Amino acid sequence: MSATVTAPRGPASGTTVGQTPVKNVSFWRVLRSEWIKLWTLRSTWWTLGPTVVVMVGFAFAMALVAQFIGDQMADAGPEAEAAGAGGMIPGTLVVAFGFETAALVVAVLGSMIITGEYSTGMIRSTFAAVPDRLTAFFAKATVLAGVTAVLTAVSLAIAWAVTYPILDANSSTVDFSDGTQVRQLGGVVLYVVLVALFSLGIGALLRHTAGAIFTVVALFFVVPTIFTGAAAFASDIDWVVWVTKLLPSVAGAQITPTAGAVPDALDPWVGISVLAGYTVLVLAGAATRLKLQDA
Amino acid sequence: MIEARGLTKRYGAKTAVDGVTFTVQPGQVTGFLGPNGAGKSTTMRMIVGLDRPTAGTVTVNGKPYAAHRRPLAEVGALLDAKAVHTGRSARNHLLAMAATHAIPTKRVDEVIELTGLRPVAGKRVGGFSLGMGQRLGIAAALLGDPRTLILDEPVNGLDPEGVLWVRNIARFLASEGRTVFLSSHLMSEVALTADHVLVIGKGRILADAPVSEIVDGAERKLVRVRSPQATELAELLKGQNAQVDDVEPGLIEVRGSNAVAVGELAASSKIVLHELTPVASTLEEAYMSLTADSVEYQSEDIAGHAGTQSDLEGSKA
Repeated sequence: MSATVTAPRGPASGTTVGQTPVKNVSFWRVLRSEWIKLWTLRSTWWTLGPTVVVMVGFAFAMALVAQFIGDQMADAGPEAEAAGAGGMIPGTLVVAFGFETAALVVAVLGSMIITGEYSTGMIRSTFAAVPDRLTAFFAKATVLAGVTAVLTAVSLAIAWAVTYPILDANSSTVDFSDGTQVRQLGGVVLYVVLVALFSLGIGALLRHTAGAIFTVVALFFVVPTIFTGAAAFASDIDWVVWVTKLLPSVAGAQITPTAGAVPDALDPWVGISVLAGYTVLVLAGAATRLKLQDA
Repeated sequence: MIEARGLTKRYGAKTAVDGVTFTVQPGQVTGFLGPNGAGKSTTMRMIVGLDRPTAGTVTVNGKPYAAHRRPLAEVGALLDAKAVHTGRSARNHLLAMAATHAIPTKRVDEVIELTGLRPVAGKRVGGFSLGMGQRLGIAAALLGDPRTLILDEPVNGLDPEGVLWVRNIARFLASEGRTVFLSSHLMSEVALTADHVLVIGKGRILADAPVSEIVDGAERKLVRVRSPQATELAELLKGQNAQVDDVEPGLIEVRGSNAVAVGELAASSKIVLHELTPVASTLEEAYMSLTADSVEYQSEDIAGHAGTQSDLEGSKA
C-alpha cells in the first residue's frame, strides 16, 4: 500500500481531468448496473437456488403421489384404471405444484432487492449515480421480472423432465396441444413474476426488509388461507366470497393449474388482470414515494 | 463550482439548514466547517439531490445535479462511508456504479489501486473497517473523474497515513482545477487542507473567507511578555490602550498591540524583557469564537472549555 503513504505521483485522480471515458446515463446502462448488483449478492443465490429446488422437488413428490393413486386404481380394476389417474391429478398441476411456495421465495428476493439498499445505505450510492430515481427503480423491476420469468420457466421445464417418466407411465403427461394446459403453465410464470414485482413495490414503500416480507407473506399466504377456508363454509355470505376471489393470490392463481378452489372464482384472464392491477398500484405508490421523499 | 442560493431544509419544526447562500470555487479546497449537527451533511446531500430542499436552489457546474447527463463525471461524492451494500465486494460495488456511466473496468481497477484497496477489493464490504469504508467511498467518488468533489468528513476513521493521503489528494485534485468541497468538524484538519473555509453553525453560514482571514479576523493575536518589571510594563501598555492580562507574576499577555510596539516601549522605558512572543490564534480558537453561540450541545460544565469561550466573547466586546 505504498501508494497510500506517499504523495500522489502524477495526477492524483489517476488521470488528468476529462480523460476517463464516461458516457451518459441511459436505461440500458442502469439495467446493466442492476444486473451486476443482483448477481453479486449471495442473497440472490440463496433465494433463486431454493426456488428451483422447491419447484422441482414439489413436482417430483406430486408425481409420486400420482403414481401411488394410479397404482391404487390399477388394483381396483381395469374400469377404474381406464378412468385414469390423469383425471385425478392433471400433469400441469404436478409440474407446477410448487409454484406458490416458489412465489414465496421470490417475494423475499423482490422485497430485499430494494430494502437491502435502504438498510445498508446503498440506495444513496444508487441515486447519486442515477439521480432520475424512476430509471433506477424500473431498471430494478425489469431485471427482477426477467430473472424470475426465466427462473420459473426453467424450473417448470426441469420439473416437467423429471416427472415425465412417472407421468408417462400413468398417461397423465402435459398435453402441449391443449391450449388450456399451455396457458396454465405460462400463467404460472406470469403469476410468479407479478408476485416478485408486487413485493418490490411493497419493499420500496416500506423500506424495511422484515416489514416488507411480513406484509407480502400476510397478503399472499396468511390472509388467503383464512378467507378460502371461510369461503368454503360460508359460500352464502356475499362479501366473504367477493373478498376471497379478489385477493391477489386467489385472483392471480386462476390462470394456473390450481384454478377453482374458491366459490365463484374469477375467469383466468380477469383474475391475473386483477393481480396485475394491484401490482401496478403498489409500484405506482412506490414510484411516487421514491420521487418525493428524501433518500 | 457549487452555487447555493437560500438553501433551506426543515424537518418538521426543526430547521437543519437555514437559507444558506454560498459559492464553492474551482481550483481550491474549500473546507466546510461546523460542529456536529450544524447542517453540513444535509447541505451536501441537497447538493447531490438526495434530499429535497424545503426552499432555495443549489447547482453544480451551472445545473441542478439531477439535470446532468453524466452526474458521476460532474460530481464525485463521499457522503457516507456506509452508502454501500455490506454483502457486495468492493470491486463489484465499483463495477456496478461504473456500469451506469459505461465507465470501463480499467478505471475501476485504477481507483482501487489509487485508494490502496487492492488487498481487500474482493472482500465483502460488511467486514471493512471504517477506514477501508472511507477509502472505498473515495474510490467511488473518483470513479467518474469528476470536476467537483464533495467529501463529507473524509478523514473520519482513517489512520494518520490515510489522513495525510486524503489531504494530499484533496490538494492535488484542486490543483488540477477541480472544485473540492470537504467537510469536517475538526478545525485543525481544515486549516491544514483548505484554502477557503465556510463555517456553518445551527444551519447558518457564519463565515465565508480564506482560511488565513478567518484566523486573522478572530482578533486573537496577543503578545506574551515575560519581564521582572511586568507590572510596570503593564501600566505603560494600559496607558496606550492595550489590554493586559496578568497570567502569573512576571508574565503578561498583551492584546491590541504587537511585539514591535511592546519591545520599543520596553526599550524606551529601560524595562528588561526575558521573553517577547507574538502568539497567533489558531483556527481552532477562531472557530470556537464563531460557533460559540451555535453549537448544538454545549458542554458548559467543563471549566477549561467554558473559560475559553467567555474569554473570546470578552475579546469581541
